[in-house]
Amino acid sequence: MKKKILSLLLAAAMVASLTACGGSADNANSDQTANVPAQEESAPTNSDAAGEPVTLKVFSNLPDRTSGQGLVEQTLFDAYMDENPNVTIEVEALDDEAYKTKFKAYASGSQMPDLVNVWGQPGFLDEVMEAGLLAELNPDDYADYNFLPGSLDGFSKDGRLYGLSRNTDVMCFYYNQKIFEDNGWEVPQTYEELLDLGEKVRAAGLQPVSMFGGDKWSLYIYIHDIEEQLDGSGIMAKTSNAIKNHDFSDPTFKQATELFVEAVDRGLFQNGFESNDGGTAKNLFTNGQAAMYYTGSWEMSMVTDQDIPDEIRENIRVFLMPVPEGGKGDATTITAWHGGGYAVTESAANKEEAIKLLNYMFRPEGWTKIAWENGVCMSAQNFGDFATGSETEVQKQLMQLVADATDLSGTPLGDLGSSEFKTICEDKSQELAAGKISADDYLRALEAVGQ
Amino acid sequence: MHKTYSNKGVIATLVLPGILTFIFAILAPICLSVYYGFTDYSGLGAYQFVGIDNYRELFKDQGFWLSVRNSLFLAIGFICIQHPLAIVTAVILDRLAGKAEGFFRCVYFLPNVISVAVIAYLWKFIYDPNFGLLNNIIKKFGGEGTTNWLGTGTAIWSVLIVLVWHGFGWGMLIYYTGIKNIDPVLYEAAAIDGADNKQTFLRITLPLMKPVIQINVTLAIISALKQMETVYLLTNGGPGNETQFLANFLYKQAFQSFRYGYGNAISVIFVLICICATGLLNMIFRKEKEA
Amino acid sequence: MSKKIIAGEESKKIPFRKILLWTILIIVAVIQIFPLIWLLDFSVASSTEMFTTGLLIWPEKFRFDNYVNAFQNGHVGSYLVHSLVINVLAVVCVLLFSVMMAFACSRMHWKLSKAVLGMIMLGMMIPIHATLLPNYVIYDRLHLTDTLFTLLIPYVAFSLPQGLFLTVGFMSSIPKEIEEAAVIDGCGIFRIVFTIITPMLKSSLVTVSIMTFLNNWNEFMMASTYLSSPKWKTLPFSVLEFTGLYSSNYAVQFAVMTLSAAPMIIIYIILNKQITKGVAMGAVKG
Repeated sequence: MKKKILSLLLAAAMVASLTACGGSADNANSDQTANVPAQEESAPTNSDAAGEPVTLKVFSNLPDRTSGQGLVEQTLFDAYMDENPNVTIEVEALDDEAYKTKFKAYASGSQMPDLVNVWGQPGFLDEVMEAGLLAELNPDDYADYNFLPGSLDGFSKDGRLYGLSRNTDVMCFYYNQKIFEDNGWEVPQTYEELLDLGEKVRAAGLQPVSMFGGDKWSLYIYIHDIEEQLDGSGIMAKTSNAIKNHDFSDPTFKQATELFVEAVDRGLFQNGFESNDGGTAKNLFTNGQAAMYYTGSWEMSMVTDQDIPDEIRENIRVFLMPVPEGGKGDATTITAWHGGGYAVTESAANKEEAIKLLNYMFRPEGWTKIAWENGVCMSAQNFGDFATGSETEVQKQLMQLVADATDLSGTPLGDLGSSEFKTICEDKSQELAAGKISADDYLRALEAVGQ
Repeated sequence: MHKTYSNKGVIATLVLPGILTFIFAILAPICLSVYYGFTDYSGLGAYQFVGIDNYRELFKDQGFWLSVRNSLFLAIGFICIQHPLAIVTAVILDRLAGKAEGFFRCVYFLPNVISVAVIAYLWKFIYDPNFGLLNNIIKKFGGEGTTNWLGTGTAIWSVLIVLVWHGFGWGMLIYYTGIKNIDPVLYEAAAIDGADNKQTFLRITLPLMKPVIQINVTLAIISALKQMETVYLLTNGGPGNETQFLANFLYKQAFQSFRYGYGNAISVIFVLICICATGLLNMIFRKEKEA
Repeated sequence: MSKKIIAGEESKKIPFRKILLWTILIIVAVIQIFPLIWLLDFSVASSTEMFTTGLLIWPEKFRFDNYVNAFQNGHVGSYLVHSLVINVLAVVCVLLFSVMMAFACSRMHWKLSKAVLGMIMLGMMIPIHATLLPNYVIYDRLHLTDTLFTLLIPYVAFSLPQGLFLTVGFMSSIPKEIEEAAVIDGCGIFRIVFTIITPMLKSSLVTVSIMTFLNNWNEFMMASTYLSSPKWKTLPFSVLEFTGLYSSNYAVQFAVMTLSAAPMIIIYIILNKQITKGVAMGAVKG
């Protein structure tokens, strides 16, 4: 017994002495904020092609470098390295969820990569911008980049610009036209019809809508989508205020949440949708197990993906969330936002070079052109300029939907608060989907965050 | 002679590498956790001391209590399912197998050497509600086969099954060794006294295995508390926080919610719980020995 | 011998019972092994065959190119080397530190010996993941992240308590007379530890090695938080990265899982006897 006490005492003594050392962490933090105005030292010259070797570290959320957006990104990096032989670009790439976690670990450390992916949404970016982790960009550089109106709002704070937006993301239902025709099903015009259709599909032995509830954010986006269709406009401001005031008593929230629960109860989504991840949900659809797939425009490259059987990918079409009865929305109110994008970090070892690379990527003939021509996604710039007429059906449909849009919902529910709000909103959405809590419990839980 | 054995320099050289590693990688971080646990550090920028606010919040946090409950559930699951199974299998193996014994032991132990990353992904496929192996087996036997194993209600059981499956071989092997170490003379005596199999098992095998069982139970409880990798990949604590565990919970708080201070407070409580659990078990088992 | 007699009598009396017991053994074996066979089976099929309801299938066409694909794009080769280097180094350090500390604490005379021993043993109860957050801050400030040490140090530290515990136990069974004779002959402590004691501990060191290796082989939370470039990424990353990369091709995912499981299975089958003995010894002592 004596031995034990002694060793505990020893341990305690060490605790005390080490806690005293812990104070030095403060200093390290103040260092970081002190070196802000060190930017103008080296004016960027274009002639340093043969300049000193530079290694740029890029942290990307596009792990697949051989197809889709990852390929577009890699193509641009390769082209940049060709033009600037002194530059080497090292990419570390992770899946969305792992990316976000690792990004936050990086953010709390001292060695951030030079160029990073960010989401221009309060739930991700506000804390990062506030902490001064991102380098300020010069808005004048982008005057003729044709960014869509409002697409850079999420990347700005107090009139300063900290990042560039990559895409225009539109939420939609992808559906398999052939399965629809073979069974005589029609694209639903109202929410009620969607639920009826779901039951018909289920009766035919297929899963109706494939949904990736395991990546919990898709669930609250679905709710947000219904809200957009209910109100027809202004849903982002309304949601932001509700989060700020801890008040979700507005009837839209309750109605939308209940409509989601009704869809769950009536079996609109595949079995186990609340825990299926993105890969599984997509595979159900692309293997003909599910008739529809609820996701965003970033999946439009399914149509050109050689891994997907031809008879399926050639029949993919899209429709938008149908308007529930009494909703003010119509076919021109779409749930869309500018989410993903890039930023250069303030502590970057090669800040100038990183900004150069960023600007290079987002020249209109850069990301926008390559992404559109390859049918990968719609950029946050004027991608319509590059329309060729030879686009895939899905591309044409989505382009038309965006062109016709009279209202864009903006950043969805869970991304409008702090990161703590996002975490809780995700968990509660999943519990709601699993039938563990009621619509009321859900809204009360959202109100309680940070109170 | 005595001098050689108390040479300070020699002792220091022998002990310091270990001690320094220990201090650097275990003690120092824990102290740092204690420190950050009293702050509202988000992981970014400045922070303030908030006293015991983090701890106060923690004890009200549903996620925390679910984590503790799940650890208990796992521990009980190990003790009531995995270990009895392992003991019974070990006894049968000892009685029967003969030449095939090595083969069976090898097969039972095999999942143990496969890394958790593979195991977790493999079971994710096995559990898939729409095309997974498990539901397909149920369909073969005429069941409906549409259960969402990682969904609400069943998820924690699914996690338990994976862990029982993964760790079964280890437990079996240890019990098997324990049985082998029992003096055959005792069995002989029992046979002479006319004891049947059941009696032999209950009167001789089990009581003599007690120390082995005690160690295994302690290890099971500790590993239930420490659970992280499997659950992180299999469910990441979901649905909601239904399959949350302390290690996963603190990770999530620090790196998803930007609540580094709070995450560290959880770390501190995590360490305390582990130390208390081990201490308590030791005490119980020691008392039993004395009694 | 006597047990065999009992078993023999039994089988004469009730063969039914024997069949039952055999059945139990076989069922348990099937449960343990079937998922792995399933994995292997679908790793040579094509992705779409996943959606059939058969338990095991005979693929329409054997797709061995899945493995080529998995090997080339999953970095299985280089990540395996990293894993082996880190784990072997960790084992070597743990062995070295354990033997040295065990000797100092249990044989040599100094006041704090028991206290030091107790303190390190305390480490057995501390979960490795409780240090995940603070260690990140420490390694980050020391610029150790993304190096070998960022994993090696915690792996050694968290395996040391168990290693030390086992070594102290084994060492106590070595009679003191042997080394005392050596001391009288003028032999130094280091020579005693490494040339006399260590060889005698051989079989127990195998136990410590196996325990350490298996403990750390599975770890990847620290690896994924502390490592960023492919320089030192360990084998679990093959699987983790690959599932994102080939999310729409299940068969290739199965192939990469099989590939990352294979090295350990092969090592286990080769070293089956030693590993079994090692684990068993640790259990009895521990």
